[in-house]
Formats: sequence, structure tokens, C-alpha cells
Amino acid sequence: MPPLLRIKNLVKTFEDNKVLNGIDIDVKKGETLGLFGSSGSGKTTVGRCIAGLERSDSGSIFFKGKDLQAMSRREKKKVRPQIQMIFQHPEISLNPRMKAFDSLVEPLKIHGWDDKCSLENKVEELINLVGLRREHLARYPAHLSGGEIQRVVLARILSINPEFIVADEPTSMLDVSVQAQVLRIMEKIQQEKGVSYLLISHDIDVLRKVCHRIVFLKNGRISGVENA
Amino acid sequence: MSYLNVSSLCVDFLTENGSVKAVNDISFEMKKGETFGIIGESGSGKSVIGQAILRLLPSNAVVNGSISFGAEDLLSLDNKNMRQIRGREISLIPQNPAGSLNPLLKNKIQVAEVFEVMGVNKKEGIKSVLGMLKNLLMKEPARILENHPHELSGGMKQRFLAAMCLSYKPSLLIADEPTKGLDSFSKKGTLDLFRHMKGEHGNSILVITHDLDFALEICDRVAVMYAGQIVEVGPVTDILQIPSHPYTKALLNALPRNGLIPLHGHTPSRIDLPDGCLFYTRCNLRSDKCGTERPATKSIKGGVVRCHLY
Amino acid sequence: MTGKIFRRKDMTISILLLALLVVVAISYPLLALSDPNAIDLTNKNLAPSAEHPLGTDYLGRDILNRLAAGTTTSLSIAAGVSAISLFVGVLIGCISGYYGGIIDETLSRIIDIFLSFPGIVFALAIMGFLGGGVINLILALSVVHWAKYARLMRGQVLSIKENEYVLSAKIIGAGDFHIMRKHLIPNSVATVIILATIDIGHVLLSIAALNFLGIGLPADIPEWGAMLSAGKEFMRTSPYQTIFPGMAITMVVIIFSIIGEGLRDIFDPNDTGGEYL
Ligand SMILES: Nc1ncnc2c1ncn2[C@@H]1O[C@H](COP(=O)(O)OP(=O)(O)OP(=O)(O)O)[C@@H](O)[C@H]1O
Ligand SMILES: Nc1ncnc2c1ncn2[C@@H]1O[C@H](COP(=O)(O)OP(=O)(O)O)[C@@H](O)[C@H]1O
Ligand code: SF4
Ligand SMILES: [Mg+2]
Ligand SMILES: [Mg+2]
Repeated sequence: MPPLLRIKNLVKTFEDNKVLNGIDIDVKKGETLGLFGSSGSGKTTVGRCIAGLERSDSGSIFFKGKDLQAMSRREKKKVRPQIQMIFQHPEISLNPRMKAFDSLVEPLKIHGWDDKCSLENKVEELINLVGLRREHLARYPAHLSGGEIQRVVLARILSINPEFIVADEPTSMLDVSVQAQVLRIMEKIQQEKGVSYLLISHDIDVLRKVCHRIVFLKNGRISGVENA
Repeated sequence: MSYLNVSSLCVDFLTENGSVKAVNDISFEMKKGETFGIIGESGSGKSVIGQAILRLLPSNAVVNGSISFGAEDLLSLDNKNMRQIRGREISLIPQNPAGSLNPLLKNKIQVAEVFEVMGVNKKEGIKSVLGMLKNLLMKEPARILENHPHELSGGMKQRFLAAMCLSYKPSLLIADEPTKGLDSFSKKGTLDLFRHMKGEHGNSILVITHDLDFALEICDRVAVMYAGQIVEVGPVTDILQIPSHPYTKALLNALPRNGLIPLHGHTPSRIDLPDGCLFYTRCNLRSDKCGTERPATKSIKGGVVRCHLY
Repeated sequence: MTGKIFRRKDMTISILLLALLVVVAISYPLLALSDPNAIDLTNKNLAPSAEHPLGTDYLGRDILNRLAAGTTTSLSIAAGVSAISLFVGVLIGCISGYYGGIIDETLSRIIDIFLSFPGIVFALAIMGFLGGGVINLILALSVVHWAKYARLMRGQVLSIKENEYVLSAKIIGAGDFHIMRKHLIPNSVATVIILATIDIGHVLLSIAALNFLGIGLPADIPEWGAMLSAGKEFMRTSPYQTIFPGMAITMVVIIFSIIGEGLRDIFDPNDTGGEYL
């Protein structure tokens, strides 16, 4: 079976800084692949390329066998939402002028959910999934703690049932007990829905605990692969 | 004499849904030269304590209790004197480095602006920040100053901000999550720098962190917080090796190397606090008394704990 | 929010005064008291008296009456100019900042061209082309003002468009229009609105300046700037016909700059209760 996501010979340069210098990564369906590297090694850049926020200089990213960077607009519109991303700085991952509720509703509405009553139930289900309560829904991001925001971000992304999630240090802000909670929730969702993760982290203990495989990024290249 | 003394501090936030008890009757003291840690779950109120000390809370906050710093009572100081203390005497490295930098300005200009406000020569300011950046083990500090904030990765932003705060040589440094987002290599750099500040300058440091390993390395004593209350205070080695409070025990079990075991259940609502122990619903060692009577703090060897078991 | 507004005394007073002006502006034409254009050459250039509390002008028209009538014209022109130039400025600035690339380069060049003309001369030229009258005046001043807002808006959008909530919205599949409407504009428009508020006073000054230069409104339209400039020839002998409209304009300039400054504090997302690091 072909991998869900295949990165081939990815190269990315910022001005004269060659951040990625020919990277190959495969992620299978239902797999959690860890991406380890020191700060500035280009982990986030890999994630941004996958999520379509950055165009590589050369190389390709195949999702279900199709090159993401060579798709027509129409195709992109259909395929893109299946790949979601959680960011390194969740504190600016939510619009400061939208309440948690509206941030959760936004993706649902964009994807054509218009029944108001079931919408509220859906939001409540999502917020419970990540261990938050109704009272958090009425708050603006400024009135949520860092960890609470991160969980809203996760709930928001889960609302459109993505098949692949790039998680860029999703727990580096969280205290250990909530980190454990979030990682276990991500695991549970994987088991239920078969999503794949690219889990970016610089905490090797975390990666060893939750990933099926870990790739090591160094000087713009993959320097090693470890099977858990 | 204690240097920073926080006693019976309560911070409530008034919101549409009621008042959120973010910090609920907290007392601790720091001696001069001490490195004191506050650890605890996300949302437990750690950052709020730091902001309360510097009086940087949003306007919907209601603060009660007292905070004294040397001879000054910080909560009753007028704004002018408070501004004198902020930055010069007490400096805060905020939790959110991304939000603290103006995205439109080159890093160098941000540094210059800050020093201008502080009344320090810009060139000297930039020089001392460069020195600090080297201290923090940043590669190419000069290039960092020429960049815009968005060109730095998360860890770099954090260290840049830390260097800026440390370069005014405050006597009390409040560091909110100084290792957040750093890889192990940079974490070591931060650790070295904090040790340097402690040893060389006799700085007192209040470290707010959820990084238990970092706390163990750098702190002399730590307070463990849960749902706005301190549940345990004591020497760091005691707390992180032979914890007393059931919450601290659970926290240690959540470390990846101890099994990544999450706590079951939820933290209690901070609007309607339960009558009994705040940890009651999640505690494996609870008894009936815990559900009805809020435990008070008790002194035990070397520290205090808030639990009916003691 | 309302609490924050009324905590500031200067802001409260300004808002009350503005409310009063708006009431006058709306009710005056409805009440249709005496004609503000009623000429009475036997009573021209009078000083304030019981019959004419603020005196009369060079055609013997009651100054108080004309000032009150002028509130309607002056405020409508100012509001019209602000609304049009804000709308155009915010839209163009947002598009320019968000899309970047060639679109941004083209729009920025256009903005620069508009900014490089001295405002009054530019407005004068447009009025010369379009002719006088209220509508043309509004159009001319809008053409002069929008570019300033566009440039500010573009800068604001540039500073937030890489924020992760904007990226997240993109990845979730939101269209460009949605992103601009829900994320970029709400998080960046505050500064532009503040500038526009402070500018309302300046719009009134520009009208006065245009009238001074002889292009602007016909003499029979009661408008503060027009009154001010029409009275300039009688400054020595009968100063009241310039002093009172001048005071009215100054008052509005001050009111809007206080409200603008107040809004700046209120919109500040890093609300620290008025204390800063
Ligand atoms: N302005 C506010 N209005 C209402 N509630 C607030 C406000 N600021 C913080 N809170 C609440 O106060 C509690 C403590 O927040 P705080 O930011 O101190 O958490 P923390 O311990 O630093 O957590 P983290 O590790 O996630 O940063 C949280 O429950 C949060 O939702
Ligand atoms: N937009 C950009 N412009 C210029 N340099 C960038 C940009 N984004 C990232 N970089 C640089 O690329 C390198 C890798 O960054 P990043 O992928 O964020 O690292 P990390 O592994 O910490 O996630 C860093 O040196 C960073 O400064
Ligand atoms: S007081 Fe009771 S419920 Fe609370 S921590 Fe102690 S044993 Fe557990
Ligand atoms: Mg990164
Ligand atoms: Mg915090």
C-alpha cells in the first residue's frame, strides 16, 4: 500500500539560507511519525510545506499519490482541508476577537454545517473531547490560559475530520499532565478515526513514547530514523 | 528578612459568567538570592501571580492580599513608583515571546527603543544585549539583531527576549516559562545563564514553569499549584523526589519517562469552587472528609502541604 | 466597554457634546425655524445682541441660525468624507497587504501617488474639475484622504497576516474574502478608525481652507468653513462672523481628537488597565 503522505527530495531556501536540503519522508495511514531536530533545524518549515503555507524550491509532496504542489485549484480545494496543522505558538492560533465558541464554529460553517441546533451539540462534543467545559466557550483567547487555548485549537481542527495532522510542538506549552492528556487524546482519535500525525518536537522522551517512527533532522537533511 | 513576600493573595477576574478565581489565597516568601519555582498545571494561576507582582493584570482583575518587595508594598504603590520598579528592579520575561515583539521592527530597533525608554544609551544597550545573546548560546547574535521577529524560530525569539530582559540587570527576575519551546541544547544554555545570574550577580529569580526537570536543576525551593491554590511548598529535591501531595505525585507520573499517565477528570470550575478539597474529584487517596472540608495549609518537614492526609 | 468609555472624563464630555451636535444637525432641518439664508441688509455686520445672540454677517444673516444650520452640512460632509475614504482605504489597504506581490506593488504605487500630492492643492484641482457643491466637495476630500488610511491599513495587515490564526483559517479552507472580513479587518481596523476619528476635525479645516481659496461651497449653503472664509473681509470691522464659526470648528476638532485618543486606549488589545511596561 502506498504511504498516505510521501515527501520526495524537498529543498527549501530562505534568501541564502538553505533550510531543507533534499528531504524524504513517508507517513503511512494511521501512523504517528515523529520529527525531531534542534531549534532552527527546519522542522516547522517541513510542516508549513506540507500544509501548503510554503512552496518548496524543488521536490514534491504526494498526498494519496497526488502531488500537492502540482494540483489544480479545484483539486486543492477538495484535498487541502484533509491536511490540518496545529502550530508552535497556540497563543496566536486563535483570533483574539473571536470567542472560543466562534473559533470552533468557523470551520464547521465553512464546510457547510448550517443546522444551528446540532451545531451547538457538535461544539459541546468537541470541547468535551479536549477536556474543556462549556464555560470556556464564552471566553476570548485573552481570557484562556495557554493550555486551554491549545486544546481549543485541537478541537477546532478535529471538527473537520482531517486525515493528516501536522502537529508542530503541540504540547511544548503545556504542563506535563495536560501534555499527557492531549497526547492521549490524539492517540485515541487516531485509533478511532485512523488519522496520521506528523508530530514535530524537540522532546525526544515524548516522541519515543507516542510515535511509531521518529526521523531526525539535522543540517537540512534526515540524519537518521528510529523505530519505536 | 524575606525579600519578596506574597501573603493571602487572591486574584479574581470578573467575566460575563461570574468571577473566575484565578488565584485563591496564596502565600509564599522568597529570600534574597533564592531561586524559587512555581510549578503546576496549565491554568492553575502561575502566570497570574507573576503579573500580579508587577501589577500588569488586565482591568477586569480584582486583587486582594498583599505583596511586599523589600520595604515597598507593591499593591499600594502609585503608578509612577511602580514604573520605576518595573524593568529596573523587577523584570519579567513573559510567557508569550511572539506577542511581545513588534513584528514591523527589526530586532535591533526594538532593543534600542526599550533602552531609550529606560534612559540608557542605545549603543551600550545593544552591546549588552549582544553579550547576553552570546551568553545564551545563540549562534550569530549580530544577525539576529538585523532580523525581523518573524524570521526567528520560536526558541530564538524566546532567547532574544530573555537577553533583552536580563541586560537591564534587574535584582528580581520573574521568568514565565523560560524554557518553553526550547530544545535540549538551548535549554542547557538557558540553565547556564540562570546559574550565572544566580552565582555572579546574586539575583533572586522567580521561575514559573511546568518544566519539572528545569525546576529540579535551577530552583532552591518550589511551590506546586493546583486550581489557583498552592498545594505544597518545599525544597525542590524533596518535592520532586518524595512528593507529599497526591497532585504532585500524579504530576510526576505524567512525565513521559514515568509513563505519560494523564490525570483523569477535569480541574474544577473556577467560578463555582467546590466546598471540599479542590483536587477531590481526581484524587486516588481521598476520604469522605475531603469532599466536604477544604484542607488548610499545614507545616511539615521543610515546607507546607495542603491535604487532609497530613 | 461602556464602563471603559465613561471612566474617562474628557471622553464623556466630548461624547456628550458630540451627541448634542448630532441632535442639532438632525433636528435643525426638521424643525425648519427661520431661514438661515434670510438676508437683511439693514442689519448687517452686527455685534451680538439680544435679538441676534451671535451677531449678523455681512448680508445681515443671523450667525447663530447659520451656525446651527451649518452643523447639518458640516457634520454630514465630514461624516461622508470619513465613511467613503475609510471604506476605500480599508478595502484597498487590506487587499494590498494580504495579497502581496504584484497586486501590492501596484496598489502601493497608487497609494504613494495619491499621498505625494499636497492635499489641499489636490482637492482644489478636483473641485476645479468637478465643480462646486456638497457632493463634489465630499468626493474631492475623499479622494484626498483615502490613501492615508490605505497605507496604515496595509501596514496593519502585513503585521498580522502571518499570525497563526490567519494561517489556520487558510488551512481550514476559508476563502480570501472570509479571511479578510473575519480575521484581518477586525484585528487591524481599530488603528485606522482612530486615525479617521482624529481626522474628522481636519476635514472641517480642509473645507474652510478650500473656501478660503475661493473654491468650495456656494455662498448660500450654510457651512462653518464657508462662513469662516466669507467673513474674512470683515475681520477688522466685524470679527464675530469669523470668530464663532472658527470656534465651532475648533471645538469639533478637539472633540474628535479626544474621542480618537480615548478610542486608542479602549481598542488596545493588551489591555493593562491603563498601565504600561
Ligand atoms: N483576564 C482573564 N479573565 C478571566 N479569566 C482569566 C483571565 N486571565 C486568566 N484567567 C483564568 O485564570 C486561570 C489562570 O491563568 P494563568 O494564565 O495564570 O495560567 P497558568 O498557570 O500560567 O497556565 P499555563 O501554563 O497554561 O500558562 C485560568 O483558568 C484562566 O482561564
Ligand atoms: N520566513 C522566513 N524567512 C527567513 N528565514 C526563515 C523564515 N522562516 C524560517 N526561517 C529560518 O529557517 C530556519 C528553520 O526555521 P524553523 O523551520 O522555524 O525551525 P524549527 O526547527 O525550530 O521549527 C531558521 O534558521 C529560521 O531563522
Ligand atoms: S485533601 Fe483529600 S482529596 Fe485533597 S488531595 Fe488530600 S487526600 Fe486528596
Ligand atoms: Mg519550529
Ligand atoms: Mg502561564
